[in-house]
Amino acid sequence: MSAPAWEYGVSLYSYTGEFGVTKTLDDVIEDVADLGATGLEILGEAHVEDYPNPPAAWVDAWFARNERLGLTPTCYGSWIDTRRFPGRDITEDEAVEQLELDLRLAATLGFRYLRPKLGVVTADLEPHPVWETATERVLELAAEKDVVICPEIHWPSVIRSKVVDDYLAFIDRTGTEHFGLLMDTGVFQKSMHGRRGGTPMRMGNGGGRPPITPVVPVSDLEDVLDKVVHVQAKFYCVDDDLQDHYIPWAEFLEVLHRREWRGYLSSEYEGDYATGRAADQLRRQHALLRSLSATL
Amino acid sequence: MLDEPMIQTGGFRNTDGGFELRLRLPYYRGLWANLLEGATVEVDGEGFPADAVRWTIGDRSFTIADLREPSDLRWPVDRPAVLSVPRDEPLAVGEHDVTVELGIRMSYIPEELQPSIWIEQRKLVITR
Repeated sequence: MSAPAWEYGVSLYSYTGEFGVTKTLDDVIEDVADLGATGLEILGEAHVEDYPNPPAAWVDAWFARNERLGLTPTCYGSWIDTRRFPGRDITEDEAVEQLELDLRLAATLGFRYLRPKLGVVTADLEPHPVWETATERVLELAAEKDVVICPEIHWPSVIRSKVVDDYLAFIDRTGTEHFGLLMDTGVFQKSMHGRRGGTPMRMGNGGGRPPITPVVPVSDLEDVLDKVVHVQAKFYCVDDDLQDHYIPWAEFLEVLHRREWRGYLSSEYEGDYATGRAADQLRRQHALLRSLSATL
Repeated sequence: MLDEPMIQTGGFRNTDGGFELRLRLPYYRGLWANLLEGATVEVDGEGFPADAVRWTIGDRSFTIADLREPSDLRWPVDRPAVLSVPRDEPLAVGEHDVTVELGIRMSYIPEELQPSIWIEQRKLVITR
């Protein structure tokens, strides 16, 4: 078998709590290059200045910086805020308008993938049905811009679920090459990591409990891998001995390697908040992933 | 650069007809302002309801009632919002206990767990 065909990236989400507080956009992008990654993932609504209309000088600086640092834009995170307006759901036209706006902006900035985070309608996170009709209406634009729309399979959703079946059926029905899946490795977490730090937050009246989800075996990845276009390498903690007790990286990489998967492993740190911790944890994770890859 | 806490150290001051304080968005992305449910403010035990607060982000100013109508107003993650709170008397010079509860609707979280509410209490100083 050939050497692993994936590349390494970082999502700027990793620097949540530090971006705008201790670090500028320049700082966090410089850090991504410094740790040896080549793929750059952003959240449009977080990192694009004056979203959704960045100044021309900002766009010029984006390309100049990426060129200087050897970075390639990978995935652009967007949202379909179905509850944007109080008392009603957004309309299909409003969902289309949001998707078009982000598709155009992602393409302008050189991204290949767009991850829309979808509003949900049930306790088990079934997406709002507008996702399907609105996505179908923007497939032509996605093809024109050559951007692949990829909703995420993200904890607490699991791979073998109605939502994933619906995404796969959508690909079959439309025959599109501009829709795929984003695999977030948090789905494979072996135990829950309680995140510390940040401003205290409660959800609703505070009576809700986190959902109880089964441990998803990495073998389930085999069912969907040929439709996975991007991996968010979600992680919470890599310890001082370069061990990750939450995400089974060795098993995960073995499947990617055997199936000759190509794309970016885009690191998404979601552990404790503390100044400087994301940069350190990202380096540990990249050291771990590269070490494991070398043994394949 | 912003301060790490949601309630910013700077910007707490008396104004004509009340006082102001600054918040940073304690979340990982900027938002359409329509997603704000509002913020209640408490100073030394005196409460101010969310609909009494006037918001200013950049050069645009609004109330929570205004946000019932579609708008392109945004709250960027790296810019503070100024909350203007009406009060008959100016706050005394010196230290105050300030509490803010900020509510935001997240579409991707089940409705029974919404809104998301950030709560913070800080000591802030009025200088004059």
